[in-house]
Amino acid sequence: MTSSEASRSSALLTGTGLRRERAVDDTLAPRRRTRRRIAPYVLLIPAVGILVIALGYPLIWQLITSMQKFGLAQQFGKPADFVWFANYIALATDPYMWTVIGRSLAFCFVAAGCTMVVGTLFGVLMSTVNRGVRIVLQISMLLVWAMPVVAAMTIWTWLFDWHRGMVNWLLTGMGLDFHDHSWLQNPISFFAVGALVVIWMSTPFVAFCVYAGLVQVPGEVLEAAEMDGAGARQRFWGIIVPMIRPILAIVLLLQVIWDLRVFTQIKLLQDAGSIASETNVLGTYIYQLGTGSSDFGTASAVSIFVLLLTIMLSAFYVRSLVREDDEP
Amino acid sequence: MNKKFVGLAALATASALVLAGCSGGTGTPNPTNSGDDGVDGAGKTITLWLAGGDTPDTLRDYLKTEFNKKTGATLKIEQQDWGDLVTKLTTALPDANNTPDVTEIGNTQSPTFTNVGAFLDISDMYQELGGSDLLQSFVDVGKVGDKLYTVPYYFGSRYVFYRKDIWQKAGITTVPTTLDEFNSDVATIAAKNPKISGFYLGGQDWRDGISWIFANGGEIAKVDSSGHWTATLDDPNTQKGLEQLQAIYKNASRAPNDAKDSNQYIYLNDSDTIAGTDGKADTKVTLSAATIMAPSWAHWSIGDLSEKDGKPVRTWNDDTFGVFALPGNDGKPAQVFAGGSNIGISATTKNPELAKELLKIIFSPEYQQMLGKNGLGPANTKYVSSLGDDEFAKALIASASNSKLTPAAPGWAAIEGANIMEEFFSKIAGSTDLMALAKEYNAKITPMLNQK
Repeated sequence: MTSSEASRSSALLTGTGLRRERAVDDTLAPRRRTRRRIAPYVLLIPAVGILVIALGYPLIWQLITSMQKFGLAQQFGKPADFVWFANYIALATDPYMWTVIGRSLAFCFVAAGCTMVVGTLFGVLMSTVNRGVRIVLQISMLLVWAMPVVAAMTIWTWLFDWHRGMVNWLLTGMGLDFHDHSWLQNPISFFAVGALVVIWMSTPFVAFCVYAGLVQVPGEVLEAAEMDGAGARQRFWGIIVPMIRPILAIVLLLQVIWDLRVFTQIKLLQDAGSIASETNVLGTYIYQLGTGSSDFGTASAVSIFVLLLTIMLSAFYVRSLVREDDEP
Repeated sequence: MNKKFVGLAALATASALVLAGCSGGTGTPNPTNSGDDGVDGAGKTITLWLAGGDTPDTLRDYLKTEFNKKTGATLKIEQQDWGDLVTKLTTALPDANNTPDVTEIGNTQSPTFTNVGAFLDISDMYQELGGSDLLQSFVDVGKVGDKLYTVPYYFGSRYVFYRKDIWQKAGITTVPTTLDEFNSDVATIAAKNPKISGFYLGGQDWRDGISWIFANGGEIAKVDSSGHWTATLDDPNTQKGLEQLQAIYKNASRAPNDAKDSNQYIYLNDSDTIAGTDGKADTKVTLSAATIMAPSWAHWSIGDLSEKDGKPVRTWNDDTFGVFALPGNDGKPAQVFAGGSNIGISATTKNPELAKELLKIIFSPEYQQMLGKNGLGPANTKYVSSLGDDEFAKALIASASNSKLTPAAPGWAAIEGANIMEEFFSKIAGSTDLMALAKEYNAKITPMLNQK
């Protein structure tokens, strides 16, 4: 994200761009105003249209399937029975479903929280070091971000292999007894490894966004604060954070949503070890129900539930956006 | 008023963008296009899906050339991963534009698909393909009622691989002849070698562990006359097998509790030819087991390490390694889990006649004998002798003669997909009440068996 793009997006987020447009608008003749009002909507149509078609079709299919009894036989042509909300009721009364939800929420908050902290620290680091070091940092982060997930997971599972993994070898070499230690067997240890991998993969995005935001903060304000006697910590929490708050908010939201729906990393770790039912999160549970047991009806119901959860979480953010917009 | 309207429109777009941005990567899985249907003008193309790397390249080339000679059409062979096979078949088989014309399918997965009509009825070809000479237990999982949908492709079996040097050092000079002897032998070896497993049995490795249940006369599930399946893990014979398994997990195996049935052979090998097994106590080598149980084709991956054409290759060494079929307590080999695949024609194929021609080639004497020569048990038992008479062939034929399959229930693939058996086995080692554990899993398995 270049700084000009970042400033454009932050302008959009805070609505200042729109406000400036409207101010100019009021001085023009009424006829110009009407023509101007239609143009934005016409421009929105292609984007919204593509989204509706690309997202709408699977969404409607899932909604319909979640209200049916849809198994392998239906996949091969047998008509499906409409059972309305029976799938949802069965899920709501299944204690295992609540275990999976609890596990997913806990994992998501821990991983997203840590990612934000580590990513922000890296962003701050990138804004203070000299150019050479910064470029090295940025390139290495970019490589992490660009690496295909499955390739990365193959290496991670090798690192944590119980018998020949490098992590065990290093720790045993340092004097601690980790010989033949299985990292994936215990669910807590399993999720610790999973969180490590997810944080490693997500930090570059946060770091780049925060860095872009930090570059926006006007140097004069910080200098003035320093002259007034504000310490580094006060400058950070009192000036910098409020200024990059929109970026922090949207990045946190994205992390929470992505970590709630994590699938690939957990699934590949499950294949390498662990008892599957003790380490299922929402993503892998949907996969197990759907492609594993061919119970597409229940899998769709869980998917719709995850969608509702996601909307609830983003509703907070969208509401705060509207409130900011209404502020004078 | 205007302010709010434009604001709301921007809001809607922003949230749509946010939600769209969230759908990174996950979406409805699209079935991968199985065939380009690249008609090169000189005839049609049909697609054959093979699972895993079990069918060697020489056989694949033979099929392609023979098929072209006989029909003038082209045969396209695509290899699918075992792990993805069920998913891909679920999306590809019902779709006439993307379906493979002929496909291999695991023998335990076959009942699930034949019961929903995914395959073409080939009852009329039964006699022509071999009739009663075909491996009957595999034919049974390919049938629904009286109609035949899939036929056996090849069978394998599981037998025991062991390190002769470690066994001899532990004082055991003869191969065990009964299951009880085997159980005590591996416990002795584990007691004498604290760093390795006497018998490496992964906690979730039910495909090997189930031999103890079968060998004692137990069953996973039984079917009654109305076609209803019930799980029988609490059966007294099954319980006896579970007790023996618990003893093995506690006394003979040091494998992790979550290890599954995969690549056990790496634990039998040394990581290099220099480090000996009687090395110093600190030498960390890959050797981690004195005995393993694995499918017959694992013998290609066991032996001394060397390089051929730049690639690492394992050469069997008769002084260090040996094989035997797991013995039962009644003088016959123990009943082990029969590995192998079936093969069938998709119900939505656009070229049923060409597909049938391909099946005829596969069941021709030449191809059946080629399967045997490459260590894959031919579906037609008349040609079993082509497996040869080396120690691997003898072990394979012995263990396969008494092998068993998992229940041919419509819901069995769902049970495998949900890893229920893996979970059940992982709990055996630590259980204080095997009967209660068995009843708990009976309750989980029975409804899934009958689900269609």
